[in-house]
Amino acid sequence: MKTKSQSIEKFSKSDVFLVRKIFTVTLFLSLLSGIGYSQNLVPVKGNVRSGDDGSSLPGVTVVVKGSNTGSVTDFDGNYAIQVPADGTLIFSFIGYGTKEVHVNSSSVIDLELFADAALLDEFVVTGYSSQQRKNITGSVAVVDTDNLKRVPAGSAQEALQGMASGVNVIKSGVPGAGGKITIRGMTSFGNTDPLVIVDGIEQNLNNISAQEIESIQVLKDAGSASIYGVRGANGVILVTTKKGKSGTPSISYDATYGMIHPLPGNPFNLLNSEEYMDVYNQAFPNNDRFMNGMPDFMYRGPSGAGVAFAGDPAVDPSNYFYASPNRGQNYLIQEVNKEGTDWFHALFKKAPSTEHNLSVSGGTDKSKYLFSLGYMHQEGTLIETYVKRYSARVNTEFQLGNHIKIGENLNIIYRQNPGFGENSDFGGIVEAIKMQPIVPLKDIMGNWGGTFGGPGLGDGNNPIAVQSRNRKNDVLNEWHIIGNAYAEVEFLENFTARTSIGYNISNFYNQDFNTTQVENVQGNNSENSLSINSSYDSRMTFTNILSYMNVFGNHSIEVLAGSEAIEYTGRGLNASRQRYFSEDFNFLILGNGTDAIANSSSINGSNLFSLFGRLDYIYDEKYLLGATLRRDGSSVFGPEQRYGVFPSISLGWRVSEESFMQNMIWLSDLKLKGSYGVLGSQNNISAVNAFSLYGSGMTSTYYDITGSSNSIVQGFATNRIGNLATGWEENVVSNVGFDVSVLNALEVSVEYYKKRINGLLFTEPLPAVVIGGASAPSVNIGDIQNTGIDASLTYRGKIDNDFNYSIGANIANYKNEVVNIPDPGYFFSGSHQALGSMVRNEEGHPVSSFYGYNVIGLFNSQAEVDAAPTQTGAAPGRFKYQDLDGDGEITPDDRTHLGDPNPDFTYGINLNLTYKNFDLSAFLYGSQGNDIFNLTKTYTHFMAYYPTTNLSKDLLNAWTPENQNTHIPIVEAQGSFSSTMAPNSFYVEDGSFLKFRSLMLGYTVSASVLERIRLSRLRIFAQAENLFTLTKYSGLDPEIIGGSTSALGLDRGSYPNNEMGLIFGLSASF
Amino acid sequence: MRPTDKLLVAGLLLFNFSCNESYLEIEPFGSVSETTLANERGVDLLLIGAYSLLDGGGTVGGNYLGGIGYLRGGDEVTVGTESGQSPYNVFTYTEADANIEDKWKNLYSSVGRSNDVLRMLPKVTDASPEKLLQVEAEARFLRGVYYLYLAKFFRNVPWIDESITYAAKNYYISNTSDIYPRIEADFQFAADNLTETKSQVGRANKWAAKSFLAKTYMFQNKFSEAKELLDDIIANGKTSNGLKYELLDKYNDNFVARSKNGSEAVFTVQMSVNDGTTNGNGNYMDRYNGTYGGPATCCYGWGQPTFDLVDAFQTDASTGLPLIDTYQLTPIPHDNGIESSQPFTPYQGTLDPRLDWNVGRRGIPYRDWGVHPGKAWVRNQFNSGPYNVIKNIVEQARKDTDMGTDGASNNPYSMIRFADVLLWAAEAEIEVGSLAKAEEYVNRVRLRAANPDGWVKTYVDPSNPLAGFTDTPAANYKISPYSGHFLANGKAFARKAVYFERRLELALEHHRFFDMVRYTGRDFDILEKMNWLMGREGDEILNQSNNWKSGEFVRNKHEYFPIPLGQIDLSRADGVSVLEQNPGY
Repeated sequence: MKTKSQSIEKFSKSDVFLVRKIFTVTLFLSLLSGIGYSQNLVPVKGNVRSGDDGSSLPGVTVVVKGSNTGSVTDFDGNYAIQVPADGTLIFSFIGYGTKEVHVNSSSVIDLELFADAALLDEFVVTGYSSQQRKNITGSVAVVDTDNLKRVPAGSAQEALQGMASGVNVIKSGVPGAGGKITIRGMTSFGNTDPLVIVDGIEQNLNNISAQEIESIQVLKDAGSASIYGVRGANGVILVTTKKGKSGTPSISYDATYGMIHPLPGNPFNLLNSEEYMDVYNQAFPNNDRFMNGMPDFMYRGPSGAGVAFAGDPAVDPSNYFYASPNRGQNYLIQEVNKEGTDWFHALFKKAPSTEHNLSVSGGTDKSKYLFSLGYMHQEGTLIETYVKRYSARVNTEFQLGNHIKIGENLNIIYRQNPGFGENSDFGGIVEAIKMQPIVPLKDIMGNWGGTFGGPGLGDGNNPIAVQSRNRKNDVLNEWHIIGNAYAEVEFLENFTARTSIGYNISNFYNQDFNTTQVENVQGNNSENSLSINSSYDSRMTFTNILSYMNVFGNHSIEVLAGSEAIEYTGRGLNASRQRYFSEDFNFLILGNGTDAIANSSSINGSNLFSLFGRLDYIYDEKYLLGATLRRDGSSVFGPEQRYGVFPSISLGWRVSEESFMQNMIWLSDLKLKGSYGVLGSQNNISAVNAFSLYGSGMTSTYYDITGSSNSIVQGFATNRIGNLATGWEENVVSNVGFDVSVLNALEVSVEYYKKRINGLLFTEPLPAVVIGGASAPSVNIGDIQNTGIDASLTYRGKIDNDFNYSIGANIANYKNEVVNIPDPGYFFSGSHQALGSMVRNEEGHPVSSFYGYNVIGLFNSQAEVDAAPTQTGAAPGRFKYQDLDGDGEITPDDRTHLGDPNPDFTYGINLNLTYKNFDLSAFLYGSQGNDIFNLTKTYTHFMAYYPTTNLSKDLLNAWTPENQNTHIPIVEAQGSFSSTMAPNSFYVEDGSFLKFRSLMLGYTVSASVLERIRLSRLRIFAQAENLFTLTKYSGLDPEIIGGSTSALGLDRGSYPNNEMGLIFGLSASF
Repeated sequence: MRPTDKLLVAGLLLFNFSCNESYLEIEPFGSVSETTLANERGVDLLLIGAYSLLDGGGTVGGNYLGGIGYLRGGDEVTVGTESGQSPYNVFTYTEADANIEDKWKNLYSSVGRSNDVLRMLPKVTDASPEKLLQVEAEARFLRGVYYLYLAKFFRNVPWIDESITYAAKNYYISNTSDIYPRIEADFQFAADNLTETKSQVGRANKWAAKSFLAKTYMFQNKFSEAKELLDDIIANGKTSNGLKYELLDKYNDNFVARSKNGSEAVFTVQMSVNDGTTNGNGNYMDRYNGTYGGPATCCYGWGQPTFDLVDAFQTDASTGLPLIDTYQLTPIPHDNGIESSQPFTPYQGTLDPRLDWNVGRRGIPYRDWGVHPGKAWVRNQFNSGPYNVIKNIVEQARKDTDMGTDGASNNPYSMIRFADVLLWAAEAEIEVGSLAKAEEYVNRVRLRAANPDGWVKTYVDPSNPLAGFTDTPAANYKISPYSGHFLANGKAFARKAVYFERRLELALEHHRFFDMVRYTGRDFDILEKMNWLMGREGDEILNQSNNWKSGEFVRNKHEYFPIPLGQIDLSRADGVSVLEQNPGY
């Protein structure tokens, strides 16, 4: 009885090695043709063995450096060759590292070669199984985990950016936010997150450090992912964490410490106080702040707000009065900041981050263990934002007798991450725009400055005050316990049965305290309030698999059948109160709030039961066939549509193994492959979609029918309309491609795919007359299609023994098209108070296209206005829109698609050099052809929507009758369809970028030194993060996580994630 | 293979491929299905759900613009912020306007709640026919109320009743047939079947239904039908708590929670705050209105009265009658642009006392919150003028019970109050009855306003407004009844007098714009009024490029909102929308 890997190994050793030997002999013989010998040759012989297991290596090529002279080892690993006396021999063997040895008059040279990692024989984890890389027929991107660890990132999710072809990661700058992964484009208007399976259990990749990871595979096509059936539509990411290895205990420790710096300069390009006054006066002559020039002070008290010059009795400090909440009694005075407050850099400060990982691993041939501890603390440059993560992992495995293996994986994570609401029209980062430069950070008595203490300062929140209060008062703590226990039994020579039961349990505790914002003109009278939310989620996965594998003659076959039950339950509690006598953190429990007592709870649940099977067949090492089938039954569908079947088939042809290819010695491997199959999704559907339901809510259905004024009586109303006919979302995916390996140094993989999503689960767009206030059911209407090319390239080379290098590049290209959505064939998305909707998802166009009027210039005169097509609000200095239908009038029919937030392609480039003990690596990431709708311009470039914000320096070059050579419209108070009240192309910008994400220099201390300090390995490094970003985008950062999938690329004030950082680290083992 | 291994494998296989079907059947949590509610108690719970949307919040589109609120104040009120007047004030909204669509969604959601009740009724088997008849009549009453709003806002709307369901796929209904006969039928059914009194004051009774039927007639200029009904209501009507319809002694008692549901309350929305929710059942439509920066501040300082409205409250110093045709010639001096710290003397001429229960203005007590200091309590005089509303503002003495935590109040909003009924009756008398009778009705309303007990008084101690009021009127109030003017001056005068009286009596109660549409053609022209107003206000606002200046009212267009573009798109059956756009859009 053999384990699977043993039998494979046997297969490869006995047969493949023989085949290889033939290849290499052929190669050698072909090299020999037309060779001339040089003089002074000496005979050298020896034996070559595997450094990994000591076995002899047949078929190793032995070549004299700088000549065509060569030989090949025989079946026992012996060779003999004639070499110049001072010559050098090069030993190379496919799948093994090359060695060079100077002959130096030796007549016997024995040596060991070590197997190369990450080459064709490597086993990679695929759906419920593992396969040798060379035999994979589906589209599986294998992530180079060494590169992954070289990127500064708080989690494996962020580190994945640019590491695998076809995988797009948009990172967020918010500490702990993780980012958004999409595989092969936008495949839905809803959830596009791939399924992430860590050691067999669904888990959030954002909770795992890259340091814990042994391998990551991304399953992209139906051939590889269909076995995940209804969960596989957005692609699957398979993660294996590090396990113990037989041998003496090994302790390793990795640590980094870094400092991130906020964006320098004037990132929003805002006006200083003098410029602001000038621009404001243009729009609002004789306004109450600046009618007498720049004032010295501003104030607001019970009898009004005003500005004053020094000495004015209105700003005598004796008037000052401060209480919280205000109740109209406060008298706040602040000194005008005549230079202008740099709100951005008051909000963003340099911030440290650190990460530590300690692991102990080891084992015997009967037991293996790994125990690791991790700690990560990352401060955000935006003050008082942070993430802390504490994690522990215990992975063990025991062999009981010869046939039974049991084991477990356990991961416990505690995370503190209060979060930050970026990309919002109100609150967050835009507040740094909305605060006027004349407002000081603090008022004359050292309390926070803000919009209360003066006239016409708007209604913004001093964001520094808001953040400073959050630190102690806001809590988001999460516990995650993820793990499984498994047993594996081998029987009847070729069978293996495996059972695994796993849980992913999460607990969240969220506390949010809102302090009365005394300095804010709008919040100064609101009561303080505390809200607490707590939830519990549990997902059980019970998997049973029976597999059979055998090799007979030229046939290799593996069959697997399994079942899986997944049970999800969730519970939540929410409570809040207002009016706390004290704002001391230790006082803040619900019981101390005196008003607005509210509480609620929620329950969710769904079950999934699946049967699946796969067949892998290989004939003669050349012809590969894979087939999978999964049948899922889900509780979220009505009885009519409960079960879905997802088949796939994939074929591969290892052309390089054919006899006619054997004279192409440079070609280590060439494989053509193709697959076709169906994936499913039930992401975008409620667990109660099939039911028509009535609900009750104190706000929504209760009424004071008794006229008491202070109490309500329960009522009910329809809250959901059900649809029994709704079924699975189907992704039909075809994939063709090839993998090439040249001289064992260059690997290229190219794939073309077409992914068609049929019967997209879509909330049925129903007229209000039938749906009213209820939730509409999801129905299968709408199709999206993505076509694209994924390509990756890796080249490994060496200049000499001391100098190795590698270059890796990958590219993800896709074209996204909405093929079919319900009448009228489009829907709007992404709304803004001033502009309305600026995104239209429409048949024949990419998901989330920007939509509006095309600006073709500014009107320069009334005569131009009169001559142009009729346009509401047209006036000199305002936008001239394109009359697309040529009817002489600008109407809604003249709107058009203005841009596409989907990139044409994204790419990652990895460079690695090692020279002696030094290593240098660089990583660049880019995105090309993605457009951005810059909504912050509604604040910075116009005064009509929000006339009280600071403004862009662009307005210094605004249109005037004298300054017509500009694209910046006139500075004016009035809003208009022809300026800021309509979505138009003025807001659309090219968001292409190239980021130099990381440059890292490391030094590995040499073994002789280490011996003295009893370490087996020590490496130290320094790393620069985000050295530059090349982009034409005018906002903070063109990488925008955006809103929902149907409204991407909207910049409402995104947290930048292109900030420069400097990181130092070490990694040690002993 | 050892026997234990075999057992283990066999066990695994057994589980593997057998799974109970019930594993995939999960009943929904936290909601109920139809069977749970198909009984006497359940159908009444659904009815409460239908009532609960009267306050404008609690369903889709329940924001302040989308709720039952006004959206347009006619010549009364402007949404005042730094951004200036809203597109609804100045008619610059588009067919795609999201708030207008919200309004539509909100009202059809409300209609849907009424239909929920009517659809459930046939399935109820445990209740008496009498009980079920009352439920049916109340539900149809509410549906009529919501449809009347739809008719006022959009005019041409599809009739969706309880037979229309998602399951039946019969919801593509056109908006081309007249909605008013349907509304009349609902109110007629309610009037025929509802009892005269109700055990809970918030429920509609027979007389509320008759009053709404009368209102429906008024909106169709069916004056004969209206007059007959109104005579009956005035003579015999009573509230659902059994009070005979009569004007309250004090005008302001209609607008504060402590005296609500009195004899004048024909049909009142029951607002509630501090009821376990955060404002969830308070006055949604007016929640953002009021002062800004002062002690009564809750919110955004929206809903500022116009200069023109304040001017209209002038009275003739000798006769005490309104200056119907001439008030525009003598604008009242105001404190626009004057700092609170600078001196200002309030207008000394004679005024209708109802002004100061409607408009917060400098120098006059603002309920019991203190003397209004002018600019200090106004969000943005520069763009929106110097005035604040009062009607939705709670009294300081009762703020703990009457003011919600986010500012909404439980001040009552009477959809119809008896003064409204009397003034309709006056209108109907002018058209099909007696001018003398019309004047009598108007005078009933004016005489109540003339009761000095009901006027705003000065504070005993201006520095402590909670200490109470003196007997001294806060301004120079003078108001008198007409004495034969209607007969003497004829029909045209009488009409204008009634319209003017409605404007003053019902100021800021969200009737004005719809009344203006209704009056037009009867010695009144909304186009002339609105365009004059936009000029007047636009000149008065300090910001010289304010939005009033870009406004223009277009006849046969702006009387109604457009049918929301989004809803037209969603109502396509076989590619053609069943909804036709309103004229002019």
